[in-house]
Amino acid sequence: MVVECKRRPEIGYFDPTSITYDSCPEWQPTEYGHLLRGMRVMILGMDGYLGWPLALKLGKLGAEVHGIDNFLRRRLVDERGAQSALPIQSMQDRISHAKEHLDVDIDFREMDLMNREQLFAYIKEIQPEAIVQFAEIPSAPYSMADVDKAIHTIENNVVGTLGLLFGMRDHAPDASLIKLGTMGEYGSPLTGRPLFEGLFPGDATLQYQGQEWSLGGELTPRDPVSFYHVSKVQGTYSVYEACKYWWLRSYDVMQGVIYGTHTPELDMDPSLNTRLDIDEWWGTVVNRFVAQAAVGIPMTIYGSGNQMRGYINLKDAMQCIVRLIAKPPEPGQYDVVNQVTDVFSVRHIAETVARIGKREFELDPMIQRLENPRVEAEEHPYEVMHDKLKEQFGFGSDSNLEDEIRHMFQAVLEPTAKQRIEEKRETLFPRTRWSGEHKEMEVLETIRPAA
Amino acid sequence: MQISDTNFDTEVAAHPGIVLVDFWASWCPPCKMMAPMVERLARECQDQAKIVTVNIDQNPATASRFLIASVPTFVVFQNGQEVLRRSGAQTEGQLLRMLKFSKAERQAA
Repeated sequence: MVVECKRRPEIGYFDPTSITYDSCPEWQPTEYGHLLRGMRVMILGMDGYLGWPLALKLGKLGAEVHGIDNFLRRRLVDERGAQSALPIQSMQDRISHAKEHLDVDIDFREMDLMNREQLFAYIKEIQPEAIVQFAEIPSAPYSMADVDKAIHTIENNVVGTLGLLFGMRDHAPDASLIKLGTMGEYGSPLTGRPLFEGLFPGDATLQYQGQEWSLGGELTPRDPVSFYHVSKVQGTYSVYEACKYWWLRSYDVMQGVIYGTHTPELDMDPSLNTRLDIDEWWGTVVNRFVAQAAVGIPMTIYGSGNQMRGYINLKDAMQCIVRLIAKPPEPGQYDVVNQVTDVFSVRHIAETVARIGKREFELDPMIQRLENPRVEAEEHPYEVMHDKLKEQFGFGSDSNLEDEIRHMFQAVLEPTAKQRIEEKRETLFPRTRWSGEHKEMEVLETIRPAA
Repeated sequence: MQISDTNFDTEVAAHPGIVLVDFWASWCPPCKMMAPMVERLARECQDQAKIVTVNIDQNPATASRFLIASVPTFVVFQNGQEVLRRSGAQTEGQLLRMLKFSKAERQAA
């Protein structure tokens, strides 16, 4: 089998299996594996919590970074009456600061994923070698708040992704797609069936009425827990189909609950801060608990707090995404990774935040158990398979829950951040029920955790 | 063992006895998931049968010669002649039955 080099067509046809990374001048070794020199990466949603740190990291590694955002997240957080606990700069200013502090160049276009004419033109112009799809509305409670928000979530996420796939087919069919999915796609099966990485292993079988069939390679069952999670499941099917029909290549990243505010690139200067949302709709649980403890609001656990989820911190998540970008899938290959480092119960997180807040920051953190506004199992087994990133991509975790909590406390206890949280105190308390009822959440129990 | 267009005849067609050929492709999730099992069976069954793989994109001549329309497709050859084929992921029991061995027979051997 021979192929033409897409970057250097002048060298003619060659057998790609005969060349190593080290012998090909188009690849450079980095701490995350070999990366294409000046790899053209396009980040959709570059202004976001994940998109911005990723842009900086890739830029630092020598990739050619392009991206879009329509600033929807800033608008939606604002509409909610909330704000990022850490002050963040405008995109224009961020880009100058990135140049100043990290010496990275970033090509940004203000653009809406749903504007296909513009998006397709941009893809055609840049010819990205990897596209990272972060341009989705990531909030479960937002998607459950009312019909308009549910539809908004589905339209943006599902239709947006679908359009992107056509754009890739027509203008950049060789690009790899890093699609952000979520562990919430799988749900939490009460049977205790382990959560495989998207596809059943080769020796998984189905037995029925004395017969047996292999399930090897089939998509594992999905059991989403909000209309946002439904949108991710739908996205998975769109991507899976596109890889089948059009020989696109994609990693579907089932990411655990993300937390933390800290990467080596962001640390270079506060002007590079990524957003830290902590309100009921846009904040994730670890970040929310740290913010609540910092301003003396009890940490709000839903129901028993025994709900188990997979978690990963920002620093580790960025390493994983870069590794996935550096080692693309084969043409036509759809593959899935469970991007998780730990499994915790919500209660464990609250107790850990309380312990660190009390012992190291002289806070008096409280925990409040509330009526659960969600429809979910509170007592359930939860086993996540998450070896692929380690075994196939060389991922090694760089941090842990306690260090990230510590780091976040330091950040949010700074006067500016603390005041920003205080100003929007009321947005920290949940009020969105899955049922749609508008009723105050009842407090079941208030606990002062033991030291 | 990976077989190609160039050595298919010597390694499979000319081989006396049983050969199981796993026709696969890199873009096929069941094919990728089955690879570890096929590899293991190739080792475990080597006294009774030869188990080899053919990547259909890298070896289009062999793929079209055997009219491979979907992957994975497992074809059993006996003395160079095709005797059986099945498509889709297979359980270990199904593959061994294709080779006419039961698990018990293989373990006793």
